[in-house]
Amino acid sequence: MNIVIIGNGVAGITCAQVARQRDADARITVVSGETDYFFSRTALMYSYMDLMSRRDLEPMERSVYRKQRIDLVRDWVVDMDASASTVKLGSGSTLPYDKLVFAVGASPNMFPWKGADQIKDGKVHFVSMQDLDDCERLTKTSKQAVVVGGGLIGIELVECLLHHGVKTTFLIREPYYWPMALGREEADYVTEHMRHHGVDVRLEEEMTQIQVDAAGRVSGVVTNTGETLPCQMLGIAAGVKPNVERIKAFADAPELGRGIKVGPTLETNLPGVFACGDCAEIHYPGQERPLTELIWYSAKRQGALVGGNLFGDAAEYAPPLFFNSSKFFEVEYTTVGSVMDAPDNAPTLYRKLPGKYMSQRIVHDGERVIGFNMLGSRWNHEILERWIHERRSAEWVEKNLRSAQYDVEFGRAPLHKHDVQAMPLNKEWP
Amino acid sequence: MRRQNAAGWLLHDVKNRGVTAWLLFAALTIFYILIYGYRGGAMEPIANVFHGLMGTTSSSPDQWAKTLIFFLPENLVDRWTLYGFLYSVAVCTGGGWVIWKYRHNRYQIVRTSVVIFVQVAFGFSIPHILKFFQQPDYYFSYFWPLKFEYFQPSYIASHPGWLVFYTFAGSLVLVPVMTVLFGKRWYCSWVCGCGGLANTFGEPWRHLSTKSSWSWKFEKVSIHTVLALSVVTTAMWIVPSLPGVNLVEGTTAYAVITWVRSAYALVVVTVLCGMAGTALYPIGGTRVWCRFACPMAAMIGLMQKFGRYRIRVKRDMCISCGMCSKYCEMGIDVRAYAQANFSFTRASCVGCGLCAEVCPRGVLRLENVSRKDPQELNMTALVDESWKGQHSSVGSRT
Repeated sequence: MNIVIIGNGVAGITCAQVARQRDADARITVVSGETDYFFSRTALMYSYMDLMSRRDLEPMERSVYRKQRIDLVRDWVVDMDASASTVKLGSGSTLPYDKLVFAVGASPNMFPWKGADQIKDGKVHFVSMQDLDDCERLTKTSKQAVVVGGGLIGIELVECLLHHGVKTTFLIREPYYWPMALGREEADYVTEHMRHHGVDVRLEEEMTQIQVDAAGRVSGVVTNTGETLPCQMLGIAAGVKPNVERIKAFADAPELGRGIKVGPTLETNLPGVFACGDCAEIHYPGQERPLTELIWYSAKRQGALVGGNLFGDAAEYAPPLFFNSSKFFEVEYTTVGSVMDAPDNAPTLYRKLPGKYMSQRIVHDGERVIGFNMLGSRWNHEILERWIHERRSAEWVEKNLRSAQYDVEFGRAPLHKHDVQAMPLNKEWP
Repeated sequence: MRRQNAAGWLLHDVKNRGVTAWLLFAALTIFYILIYGYRGGAMEPIANVFHGLMGTTSSSPDQWAKTLIFFLPENLVDRWTLYGFLYSVAVCTGGGWVIWKYRHNRYQIVRTSVVIFVQVAFGFSIPHILKFFQQPDYYFSYFWPLKFEYFQPSYIASHPGWLVFYTFAGSLVLVPVMTVLFGKRWYCSWVCGCGGLANTFGEPWRHLSTKSSWSWKFEKVSIHTVLALSVVTTAMWIVPSLPGVNLVEGTTAYAVITWVRSAYALVVVTVLCGMAGTALYPIGGTRVWCRFACPMAAMIGLMQKFGRYRIRVKRDMCISCGMCSKYCEMGIDVRAYAQANFSFTRASCVGCGLCAEVCPRGVLRLENVSRKDPQELNMTALVDESWKGQHSSVGSRT
């Protein structure tokens, strides 16, 4: 069998490795225009901050590809011919396939801000290896920066810029940081933490216009308050979207929506053509809204599923209970279950440890626990998941919370010293 | 990307095998040659090259020591006092900095404090206090096979009973019991002087250890070879002084035994442990000796495989960023385990805890597995999928 995978991110490479486990003889080719080797996108910030080299970002030794006979091709796929089962590369050559996998990931959102079309330089995203190149090049000539977008990539970019001594303003459109995931109380002290690190955080402020200098380099942004913020670097981190722009230009292309439309087995409308990871828009029969999961863990899971489905498994993708984790400067964050998709004003038990950037929030529906948002200390999400599955009551969970703690030895967060309070979930986003 | 100013250049250069790192390596090497180049020692001819340039002699370091450590009685002070003093200063200052750097991590604070205490008390003060009271200068923090002269029959015969008891109880009972209960970390990164210096003064270079799978293969061969040699050499010390064994100078047996003993002392004890282990910090990372050659690490590493210690990995939470592997001083590719959801015990792991510290997702945890572990999952919960549809995760997620 001849398998061609477009994209060498975590979905594509996981898919290739699972496929190799299934079939020792299949020909497996991974095409990427971004980098020669799979790298960890999530670690871009550590390379930017000189904590790792570029090479360290690669999760596997390069010899692994040779040992597993995964052929890597550095090129962009520019077209596909579904009837002939070939894809065309930027170099002009064609690759035949029996099975084709789109694992092309996501790209940053860009909105038609006033002045955006004048920019020749100075605007950065923080998603790809090329973005890291841009960031590093521009940092050398930047004293001030503005980062737009109150999410995870935004705060990472802000931390990196600050590390390099660039004075940074963080524009957050919403009334508090990351309302998609955090309650107001948590967001407020994460904001305080950012300010403590010297970030100029602006809540409920939006960019209305981008200014450029004579050479077309970003020179400042105007906000909705009328203020002009001078800057030589503008970071746009306003979310990401499935990366389908290039595919739209294909003569034959799988059916596209916001992403590449697939059924529960992650197969597109073209037989033998699959999509997985950030680019996949999964349609379940009988469900109105499709599922698009733009996170690392899902990409890995979907890649593994497609790796088996290439061989006729027809396994359906069912996302497990949601979990995620992150880090805001030094504040670690773990979430499990329903927090952001809990109903408005859902009852929660909330505990903030005074003087520390540390809190726990247990979301419930009056009878049973449905989600957790934990900041500033470490939690074993496997235990928290189990309690949700076991339909434990919020009071029971609060009493047993200690057994889900995952802090370092000697460093267990002192929960017992502080009481929890009942507090409805504050959801201030549209 | 390094920081743009001069300090940024220097920091990057010295931490990443730049010019300044090589200069530091050269300086440390010369320092060790001078320290180990004592009269009659194997290093003396090389040391004399440098003494020739400086117009000093191979006994000068003892004089320097008496000048610099003027606050101690002269008869107690020689070059080894100076070295021990500098070593302790390096552990204290480096340790202070490490405690500040990881002040949010109680494991690092406790561990670093203990390692500083052990160096200052057992590695420096107590041996000198014993010497002051004309007692044998015993190092309580070293066990077999690092100190096998303590096991010689002649040594046993000439030392007080409580010291002999400590020697045997320490090596034969304390070491295995502690290792099985807590892993080799109780020694390698809580007690040992080599590990103490590596985790304090050596902190800026910990990431330089090579992570290649080739280096892992090499390490397994080299470290166990040294362990085997240390067993042989111990026998060479004990056998000749056993009752009934009469070794005569001039015989082949005598020549072989003395050659093995001095070869081990020169290559393993002096060059690998004493000199290379530390001088290589800026080039090869902090644990070159511990990882490739220390017989103690080899022995308790094997015990660790059967003990309770492990690094626990939280299922599916790893993002493969690689900070854990990068900052593992033993060159363990921690990421390979973490991204495969595999809790593990590696013989070489010294339990410094830095992988868990730098992990941005809190995936890793050092622990001693107990049978009553409250965190073990029960399968009933995992197969119960009644939560499905109750609060569905269908929708967009970023």
